Amino acid sequence: MRYVKWTVLAILAAIVTGFLHYTLPQHDVVRIVGTYQERQDLSDWTRIFWATPDDQATGLINRDVQFIQAVKASGREIVYRNEDTGWSWPPYFKFDTANLLARAQDLISTSDNPKWAVVTHYGWRNIYFSSFPNAIAIKPVAGPDVRVIPWFNIVFFVLLAALLFMVRRMWLQFRERALDPALEDMGEAWEGVEERAGQAADEARGVWGRSRAWLMSLKGKPRA
Amino acid sequence: MIAFLRLAVFGILGLSAVYLALWIYARSVRREKLEKDWAVDHPDGGDPDAREAYIETGVETYGRSLRRRLILFVFLLPAAVVAAVLYLTNYQ
Repeated sequence: MRYVKWTVLAILAAIVTGFLHYTLPQHDVVRIVGTYQERQDLSDWTRIFWATPDDQATGLINRDVQFIQAVKASGREIVYRNEDTGWSWPPYFKFDTANLLARAQDLISTSDNPKWAVVTHYGWRNIYFSSFPNAIAIKPVAGPDVRVIPWFNIVFFVLLAALLFMVRRMWLQFRERALDPALEDMGEAWEGVEERAGQAADEARGVWGRSRAWLMSLKGKPRA
Repeated sequence: MIAFLRLAVFGILGLSAVYLALWIYARSVRREKLEKDWAVDHPDGGDPDAREAYIETGVETYGRSLRRRLILFVFLLPAAVVAAVLYLTNYQ
């Protein structure tokens, strides 16, 4: 039983962590090397990795998506997609896809004469599922060694901790003031029911009950 | 536009649930405090009717100021956060 409990808890923790890791913004220091646009199939399950723009027909099975190619300071390449999130999930409310592409193209540089930029993004790059992180913002920076402090994530986790603490306090208050008294009442009521049921059973025994008890006594069972 | 309406409708529904929960919680905490205050002032228990009136008026008065603060924090603050994220994402 203990293994089951820990397995379930571990799976839940993995789901929550994965969800937050996918959704919360992350920063890469990169050199942008190009952009392209490619028609993408939206008909299979990998649809979940693509955004849902507001003006897209629901029956659409493929559409053009913009991509931003970049090379990280470590030398590894990374490709971002550039899509509106609109009013849908995740709540970045990104509508400036076209502007972001212009900015990305403005920052294209070569390794001989690099221009560094911080790309804020969410999502995962997975070459097997062809999933790409969605670029949210691009900001030029001085060099590849800048330190980006994730202020948004810091505030987010502080607020999340406060929220969980608040929910716990609300639950304890609810239990103390509403649940426990109700359960006590129910307990008392139930005892009352049992008592009355006992009395009723005694009364209901009557002739039938008495004769049955007498028969039982003939079989050697004591009269109850 | 549909997506915006969906966000607005589900947002208002979700925030209303939060509002309701906080409303019940805050009033419950205040009621408990009033009960304890009464117990301190009246170690013998006092008049039950007066106690009832004291607690009910206290909760009632508290509820009026609570409503204003809750609307501010539960509905207007998230709306402000949405506006802030919208600005940071698209205009920076």
